[in-house]
Amino acid sequence: MSLGQMFASGLSAVWGGGTMFLMVVVAIILGTIFGALPGVSATMAVALGLTFTYTMGPVPAIVFLVAIYCSSITGGSITAILFKIPGVPSSAPTTFDGYPMAQRGEAGKALGVALIASAIGGLFSALVMFLLSEPLAKAALAFGQGDLFAITFLGLSILVVLDTDHILTTIISGLLGLLLACIGQDPMAGVARLTFGQVNLLSGMEMIPVLIGLFAVTEVFKQTNAKKRLSAEDGVGNKGKVNTKMPSMKELWSIKWVLLRCSIVGTVVGILPGAGATIASFMCYTMENKLSKYPEKFGTGIIDGIAASESANNAATGGAMVPLLCLGIPGGNAAAVMASALALKGVQMGPLLLTNQPEYLSATFITMIITNILMVIVAIGIAKVFAQILAIPYYYLGPIILLLATIGSYSEGNFVGVKVMVIAGIFGIIVKYMHLNSAAIVLGLVLGGMCEQHFSLAFQGAHIVTQPMNFGDIMQKIFGGLFGTPIAAIVMTACILMLLSPIYMPLLKKAKKK
Amino acid sequence: MFELICNALLFVFLGFTYFTHVIEAKIPKSYLKNPNVLHPSAWPKAIIILLMICIVINIYKIIKKNKGNPEFGFSAFVKNSKEFFKSKMFLGMLILIAAAFILEPLGFVVTAALTMFAYGILLGEKKIWRIALISVGVALLMHILFSGLLNVTLPRGTVPFLRNFALFLENLF
Repeated sequence: MSLGQMFASGLSAVWGGGTMFLMVVVAIILGTIFGALPGVSATMAVALGLTFTYTMGPVPAIVFLVAIYCSSITGGSITAILFKIPGVPSSAPTTFDGYPMAQRGEAGKALGVALIASAIGGLFSALVMFLLSEPLAKAALAFGQGDLFAITFLGLSILVVLDTDHILTTIISGLLGLLLACIGQDPMAGVARLTFGQVNLLSGMEMIPVLIGLFAVTEVFKQTNAKKRLSAEDGVGNKGKVNTKMPSMKELWSIKWVLLRCSIVGTVVGILPGAGATIASFMCYTMENKLSKYPEKFGTGIIDGIAASESANNAATGGAMVPLLCLGIPGGNAAAVMASALALKGVQMGPLLLTNQPEYLSATFITMIITNILMVIVAIGIAKVFAQILAIPYYYLGPIILLLATIGSYSEGNFVGVKVMVIAGIFGIIVKYMHLNSAAIVLGLVLGGMCEQHFSLAFQGAHIVTQPMNFGDIMQKIFGGLFGTPIAAIVMTACILMLLSPIYMPLLKKAKKK
Repeated sequence: MFELICNALLFVFLGFTYFTHVIEAKIPKSYLKNPNVLHPSAWPKAIIILLMICIVINIYKIIKKNKGNPEFGFSAFVKNSKEFFKSKMFLGMLILIAAAFILEPLGFVVTAALTMFAYGILLGEKKIWRIALISVGVALLMHILFSGLLNVTLPRGTVPFLRNFALFLENLF
């Protein structure tokens, strides 16, 4: 099937006489609301959406689920901006600039930028996938464990540029996150580590409660002590109403390169099996910070930061559909639920999908394109309603945030999640007093497990020995595993350069001044 | 001073962890026999060592930075600690800790209502009846929305009548 035929078949499947189109709109509304509710992750949104599709045929079901999947991930940015509750780890960088903007009374603008950036990122990746899914899938398959470790390590290397004024404490924070990620069974032998005898910790540190605790609960604690609290009156000239003014065309035009760069990086990172949206959003946020003419404004509430994070994570989420559909490898939990939902509808994911069921592939990609276009209109309407929540006085809003945080942490499965959330909230205050960096802790925690697993597999596969290893063997294994392929060698060199940048950059600047 | 104490405690804790809690179960012999695999303790131990080195440097930096600073003394630390334990933030922490413990026996509805009521007053709401009514309303609404409509599992409590009430709310829709 040619590209033109695929496009036409996908479009006719999605249009379907108007009924399907309406269904996409309904799915976007549901997905955005589900995504915006703490505790209802993208994974759960797809699972909830599945119940609507039991009586549908395969193509309508795919269209409905894909629309829910895309819009629920976008909806996650709403809570990240309004309450500092990142629904998914990849929304964590959105809080850095989104929440300060909401505090300033610019919630509408922050949400508008987030939604438009998400749509552009998603649209870009959907178009790329539509045009290049086959060669991209083959290229992604060529990535070995060493290459994947290098990519994940690149995500970790951005620690040194996350806060250049406090490099040491940022590195300590990142290492603490990495250590937290080691709690539970090790990925290779399944041996319990760092559990201190607690059975509940065997399955590892639950990520969502830690995220919610470190960001949302800590923020409520800080506001509890604050003399002047977050309030709707902060909106400039708004007389008690939250400013729901959307970003102007001029403002959006000013971030065009941010959107383009982050959409490209997000798509590339998303296509790599197992890499994911979190690496993409952190990587792009830092990249834009470095490239910006006003890096000091990042973290204080500027639209560039939101655009970088949101366009990257949505592009990566879209990009993740390539390994899912063309290789049958789900990139994350939500993609795994999507995979099982699609399999339930008879979609045979893998290399044969393009030859055996091309209509399913085209329907998926066209739905993603249409969803991302429609989402801008539909989700902005929803976001405007959500932005009004900030008009509630803080003595009601604060406790409501805590309750939503509790639901979000408990929905992970058990009471341990809630306790972890409370501990993480208190830890967040200690982190503040110790001048550590919460974002770096989260980055280490999210990427730690992935990093160790890829490293262990790369180590195992390189320089096979038959006798106990000596020092030379260990070195050969490490360097063979990490620098064994051209991709790994290039990416690892970039990582080393980035890690050493705090040492050589001041020297270079000094030399330049002279 | 607080920063210094925390760093020192973290250093001691990491040292203790390095020697006692990195590996907490027997490693399968079959795994150990394979010379090509990475030992399960290698990754966490490497991280701990790096962390301890960074913390030592950080402690040195903190001491150097605060040399001669009167606020860095032990008496200032005691004074700040007393203020912290009297602060609203500390009370907020206590409320949330209590909520985490009563969640299992009392369930979401009662815990949510009590937490919202206590925290609302802590944050400055003076109209007791209004916050009480809103707390109960929000708790009921959230349970119905998440548990009844969205199938998000929420704790129902172990006390029989509270459990039955939660089930009643879930089956309203």
